[in-house]
Amino acid sequence: MANAEPFADRATRMLRSAPLAAVLVLYTLYSALPFAWIATMSVRTTSEISANHYAWPTVWHWEKYRAAWFDSNFGTYFWNSTLVVVAAVAVVTVLGAAAAHCLARYRFRGNRLVYFILFSSIIFPPQIILISLFQVMAGYGLYNSRLGLTLVYIGLQLPLTVYLLEGFFARIPQDLFDAAKIDGYGDFEIFVRIVLPVGMPAIATTVILNFIQLWNEFLFAVVLVNDPGLSTLPIGIRRFMGDYFQDTGMIATGMMIAVLPVIVVYAFFSEKLIQGMTAGAVK
Amino acid sequence: MAVVRLDNLSKRYTGTADAAVDRVSFTVADGEFMVLLGPSGCGKSTTLRMIAGLEAISEGALWIDGRQVNTVPAKDRDIAMVFQSYALYPHMTVRDNLAFGLRRRDVAKAEIERRVALAASILGLEPLLERKPFALSGGQRQRVALGRAIVREPKVFLFDEPLSNLDAALRVATRNELVKLHRRLGVTMIYVTHDQVEAMTMGQRICVMNRGRVAQIGAPLEVYRNPADAFVARFLGSPPMNLFPATLRTDGGRALAAAGTHAIPLERWRTEALSPGREVLCGIRPEAFEIAGRTTAGTATVTGSLSAIEPLGAETLLLVDLGPGVGEVTARVRDDVDAPIGSTMALSFQPASVYLFDRTSELAIPAEGRA
Ligand SMILES: Nc1ncnc2c1ncn2[C@@H]1O[C@H](COP(=O)(O)OP(=O)(O)O)[C@@H](O)[C@H]1O
Ligand SMILES: [Mg+2]
Repeated sequence: MANAEPFADRATRMLRSAPLAAVLVLYTLYSALPFAWIATMSVRTTSEISANHYAWPTVWHWEKYRAAWFDSNFGTYFWNSTLVVVAAVAVVTVLGAAAAHCLARYRFRGNRLVYFILFSSIIFPPQIILISLFQVMAGYGLYNSRLGLTLVYIGLQLPLTVYLLEGFFARIPQDLFDAAKIDGYGDFEIFVRIVLPVGMPAIATTVILNFIQLWNEFLFAVVLVNDPGLSTLPIGIRRFMGDYFQDTGMIATGMMIAVLPVIVVYAFFSEKLIQGMTAGAVK
Repeated sequence: MAVVRLDNLSKRYTGTADAAVDRVSFTVADGEFMVLLGPSGCGKSTTLRMIAGLEAISEGALWIDGRQVNTVPAKDRDIAMVFQSYALYPHMTVRDNLAFGLRRRDVAKAEIERRVALAASILGLEPLLERKPFALSGGQRQRVALGRAIVREPKVFLFDEPLSNLDAALRVATRNELVKLHRRLGVTMIYVTHDQVEAMTMGQRICVMNRGRVAQIGAPLEVYRNPADAFVARFLGSPPMNLFPATLRTDGGRALAAAGTHAIPLERWRTEALSPGREVLCGIRPEAFEIAGRTTAGTATVTGSLSAIEPLGAETLLLVDLGPGVGEVTARVRDDVDAPIGSTMALSFQPASVYLFDRTSELAIPAEGRA
């Protein structure tokens, strides 16, 4: 017992961290319990749920997933969501990174003006453009189209992405660029070989952020797309809510299906994020 | 191997009134180690970055190896640069950091490996090749930065304060290694520093800069012994040269500089070169002083009151107040001193070690003999 901590010391240490632990436990319960509740409901039928909201599933109705996927068109919604969101996030990431790099690194007339305009578009709530946007989209034949929704999503997320990445890229030391220039690399190669890898933690953050935001986006999806065959998941889930009847059980199942990709994306990119941070990318 | 020639090179940053670099001219000989020395903000980095091609040249001409390169992009100037921050690519291993510049230049794979291995062995980087920069110490990073320049086998090496992020002991060691490396490679090197010790010990010639202009160029000892103006005199030497205002006069046919209550004899100038009444700055280096009474005749003496003693071990710094009109001077003597503060202290010096500068222009008044 040569290395053992004296009991008194350990007790004080634990006592001191107790409030922190308590807060963490409370917060975890606060965010995880509703999720767990929906998870249980996703394998119970609506009548079972109305009998007892909080009961543990007695029979595990896995077939509800099958029913949601095939009978309620979730396969289609899922595909639409994936198509629109992945395309939008990909374009936002590439365009956003390139724009952020330009704003952070090149001195040109109007640099700060562009930055300011982008920044000010973040503070306005997107709802205020909804009606005019609807007319514009209809005018260009982009109403009721996945391409139209993708374009809108790109426009929605681009400013914040540029803003976040610009802040990060601006902190990459100029010497790195100068060194690469002397090493013989052109502007575009420097962007690809230096800025993107060094900026990976920030880029991963924006990917997660944009993906979650767009995957759950409802307002523009419901206004700009009418055709059920083109709808995204949040709209699909909404279809279980009728005017007089709400199929709570199926809503839960749909939500569980919808949430899965978010978890996958988060797990993958947060790994990247942590790798990037521990690599001491920028100092 | 190349000659670098700067012909009235100027740099004016947009939105600034004064030129950051103002008509700088000098020629670095093939294989020479040239040091740009000056205080922070005097335009050393800007000059170096113009040579590198990282900063556009506002006026003047730049020649590298007989070719005017004003508008040639950095990558085509055949130079390599070591940055103060090292600028290692954080996401690449040491090996990739070294090879990055060669890959772009379509150097054959085997040749890249040969050069990386050679540089790694010169700098002792072999065990670190697979590490990333964050897993290296400051000294090791510095070596990688150096290695990245070496593998390129450039015509000219440019250094921008490459040692200033190292601790004192490592700095001295690396200083010596850089000199050895220069001897080994025999390549033209231009080295920027604000550290006069680095400049004196490393440079074959030093170019002292002040406010964007060249103050003086010459071999280190020559600049130290014959500073062109009061700025150079103050900047080279540690502690800096004592400078105090004085007025010239003659006394029985001998020239004197009257400073406060003191009369400094002037031996290095012909009397007719010194017009009586001229306002000057009189300069005496701290190491030119000795404690009076222990030396032979032919020396001059000034007396004041001792205001501080700083023992450094091998030598002692004395601050002596020479009274109104002169103020405190520093003396660097070899003896241990244990006189009480406030006691009277007589300092002797050879009159030949006195410098004179014009009071307004601060330019040195040229002397006959050597200091
Ligand atoms: N990108 C810049 N834009 C405007 N002024 C600059 C820029 N870089 C340097 N300067 C100014 O030019 C002068 C010389 O700077 P620099 O060459 O970096 O000096 P040093 O390397 O000798 O410390 C300084 O006054 C500095 O403020
Ligand atoms: Mg500098």
